[in-house]
Amino acid sequence: MWEVVKSVLAAFLGVQREQQRLKDFEKGNPVAFIAVGIVMGAVLVGLIVLVASLAAG
Amino acid sequence: MRTLLVWLAGGLTLVGSSQVALANGWNMPVGVSTLSGEIYGLHMTIFWICVVIGVVVFGVMFYSLFKFRHSRGAKASNFHENTTVEVIWTIVPLLILVGMAVPATATLQKIYDPSEAELDVMVTGQQWRWRYEYLGEDVSFISNLATPRAQINGEEARGEHYLLEVDEPLVLPVNRKVRFLFTSDDVMHAWWVPQLAVKQDAIPGFVNENWVEIQEPGIYRGQCAELCGVDHGFMPIVVHAVEEEEFDTWLAERKEAAAEEAMGIDREWEMDELMERGEGIYSSICASCHQPEGQGSPPAFPALAGNEQLISDKDWHVNKVINGVSGSAMPSFRNTLNPVELASVLTYTRNAWGNDTGEVVQPAEIAERLEE
Repeated sequence: MWEVVKSVLAAFLGVQREQQRLKDFEKGNPVAFIAVGIVMGAVLVGLIVLVASLAAG
Repeated sequence: MRTLLVWLAGGLTLVGSSQVALANGWNMPVGVSTLSGEIYGLHMTIFWICVVIGVVVFGVMFYSLFKFRHSRGAKASNFHENTTVEVIWTIVPLLILVGMAVPATATLQKIYDPSEAELDVMVTGQQWRWRYEYLGEDVSFISNLATPRAQINGEEARGEHYLLEVDEPLVLPVNRKVRFLFTSDDVMHAWWVPQLAVKQDAIPGFVNENWVEIQEPGIYRGQCAELCGVDHGFMPIVVHAVEEEEFDTWLAERKEAAAEEAMGIDREWEMDELMERGEGIYSSICASCHQPEGQGSPPAFPALAGNEQLISDKDWHVNKVINGVSGSAMPSFRNTLNPVELASVLTYTRNAWGNDTGEVVQPAEIAERLEE
């Protein structure tokens, strides 16, 4: 699970090790990546909203 | 050592050319409002950040091109990916962007805070002039281009403020927070006065806000900044910033004049006074489309001189001026002109250039029509 989170974080940044990428594509479960991606996308949006409201408040 | 000299020369050239740009007025002005200096500072900060990035990126690039050139026997190294470098060049721009966003957001917040304004001015764009209304003061007027047609047509030498002069400037007090409410009667316009650091769209059906607190009395000029039709370049803005007492006196005078004008609606007007007034209004408002001699510019702008329908049907004529013609360039003048002004321009167009109907259109009957 932690491996999936790390891979999604790397995708957010747009940089990934070739080794890790091959591993993800061979052994990873696409459903897990999609689910974690959606959840972390929501978390990112939430974080931005939080920072923006802190700045505006 | 040589490399250092090249860097130094490059840096000096950049600083020098930016000073030239400043001296020539190519840069944005520092301005005269409480926020304009801050906006200018922000602009310069970001400009210098961009300069540094440009120097570093192109410096590394040109240095590499020169140092590792083919004639010196350079061999390309062949490798794929370097995660550390990739992370660095992703994180560094991210930090730079966040670093720029922090002061920019702080300034934007101030720009978008028109609260506690002491004066509200409604600014309405229309093809092709601005209307200013001092809310709650019963004072409103339209501001037209004052540059003579002869200068525009090239028959006369251009004046100092060619296309940047108006008949009635917007008068504002210094040291008071003034809130602007922007909207439009027809198409999108934008009210832009560089010295006040205000550039705001005027959109039909929307009200945009902005504010200014001017710190120095003076005359500040601007233009419409949103392409709005054939006379887009002929609807300038002039702001006359005056001391507070002078502004209060001016506003009181305008209020009195407006009240007097309202009284004038009920009395019987003479043909001559309506004609005289109507001529002025015609040349500042109607002539840009219907032409100075009423000959129009068909098919877009019909002729008024010798127009059979206009001459024979007064009711039709009054209706067109008050309500406009939908689907054409003819706007409604119901809210732009007061009854006296409407009656004047109607009387003028019904009697000028050989349209000798001999009819006087009285302000009182127009006021009645407006109530309907």
